[in-house]
Amino acid sequence: MQYNKPIPKPSPLTQPFWDGAKEGKLMLPKCADCERVHWYPRHICPFCHSMDIEWIEGSGEGRIYNYAIQNRAFGGWAEEAPFVTAYIDLDEGDRMVTVLRGVDASDPTSIKIGSRVKVEFEQASDEIHIPFFRVMEESA
Amino acid sequence: MSLSGAAAIVGAAEAVEIGYPEEPITSLQLHIEAIKAVSDQTGIPISDIEGVFSTGWSSELAEHLGIHPKYIDTTSVGGCSFEMHVHHALLAVYAGVIDVALVSHGQNGWSARRIGGGGRRGGDPTAPATQMSMSYGFSGAPSNYSHAMVSHNHKFGTTPEDFAHVAVVTREWATLNPRAVMHSKETHEFGGPITLDDVNNSRIISWPLTLLHCCLVTDHGGAVLIAKPEIAKSLKTTPVWIAGAAENMSHSNMLEMDDFTATSAYTSGKAAYEMAGLGADDMELALLYDSFTLTAAITAEMLGLAPRGEGYKLWKEGHAAPGGRLPINTNGGGLSFNHSGMYGMHLLIEAYRQLSGTAEDGVNGIAGKQTNARTCVVNGTGGSLSTTGTLVLLAD
Repeated sequence: MQYNKPIPKPSPLTQPFWDGAKEGKLMLPKCADCERVHWYPRHICPFCHSMDIEWIEGSGEGRIYNYAIQNRAFGGWAEEAPFVTAYIDLDEGDRMVTVLRGVDASDPTSIKIGSRVKVEFEQASDEIHIPFFRVMEESA
Repeated sequence: MSLSGAAAIVGAAEAVEIGYPEEPITSLQLHIEAIKAVSDQTGIPISDIEGVFSTGWSSELAEHLGIHPKYIDTTSVGGCSFEMHVHHALLAVYAGVIDVALVSHGQNGWSARRIGGGGRRGGDPTAPATQMSMSYGFSGAPSNYSHAMVSHNHKFGTTPEDFAHVAVVTREWATLNPRAVMHSKETHEFGGPITLDDVNNSRIISWPLTLLHCCLVTDHGGAVLIAKPEIAKSLKTTPVWIAGAAENMSHSNMLEMDDFTATSAYTSGKAAYEMAGLGADDMELALLYDSFTLTAAITAEMLGLAPRGEGYKLWKEGHAAPGGRLPINTNGGGLSFNHSGMYGMHLLIEAYRQLSGTAEDGVNGIAGKQTNARTCVVNGTGGSLSTTGTLVLLAD
């Protein structure tokens, strides 16, 4: 089935991330000077303002910082509502936003802040694979 | 002369028809009606306006008015922009660049559904923060603010029901304001008083937020004039002094918000109090941006009006209600009065009316929402709990 939800358009700044996503890797920008990972990708390190940024392959794992239910949505997402949006604190540091897979949106309190999650990618187009996160079994 | 009190708000007015007008209105018309009204109210001719402050419209507005301002500010960082405009106008007057400033707002949040407009500009789709958040089905403010409710509940053991008190009390204020959309069954089929059950049982929008935790979407236009003391004291209107003004931000995209239960109102509030030489305990009235129940409650915590985690108690215990020790959102708020999308101007108008003793103007002298407050803290919150502007205002 055709992917019918919004698809990001890469820019030179973010291209390494999308290249990695195609191969199932969660690439993360890391400052070569202060060695901190930041998210989203930037031209300059938001922590120490070095412009020497490199890309590392992340573990793809982290914990749920926060979540909520989207009971209504637009476009392709409307068909999936209700679904669970979440903010993920990555093991490497900083935070991503995502939609959680493998959770029950009709039972919001069954989802636990702090649960371990792992990234998975969904192909949206030839060039774009979008990262989503799934709650890991062992954290249940 | 010190910066604190270097200028006053000398008048505040609204567009003729606000709320859900029968015939669609453009944002421009909402602006112009309010500007004309505040000029008439104060006796300041439009031709005397030297600075124009609005969210992205300032050059079009000035052109439409046929004036050539020497200070042009288009700060547009969400609904708090108007509190920031007042801050900027105070600085410009203090610096001697201008003597009279116009802050203007017009937004057809409701009519835009039929004729376009609405005043929101889309982000750059290639911006990295947009790329990394656009794929996840968020659909406007409620879908972000629900996350903040979850965090507050998790961190402080609060419940959505605790925050429902904000909606109930704010509606109580709306029943005292005939211009409020939700004033009564005469103004709206769902108007008039509401109960906690009404809030809890209303339609789910983005769990845990139900419909009545969320603000209205209406048309609104408003304008205030700000002037230096010599002018402020010479007018037929009563000045309201800008004793403190500050702004701050913690993020733009919620992805960058460290703690979903804390906003930069803590910082902007602290700076505004400091400029005014006053503290939270000195405030007799608070006008707090209530895009959602939790926005107002969290802001109360940030401004020191309540302990951390306990902002909702101001409403739950009745302090914020009519007759309470700290009236909050006396116009009926974004929840029940009006919310055009960027609510900050509505706050300014109500603050001016309360502190100038004219909170009943235009409503046929119906008693009720006028308080005796002589001090007021005003806080606008923009974006996704992103940006804040705080003012400390004093009665003459």
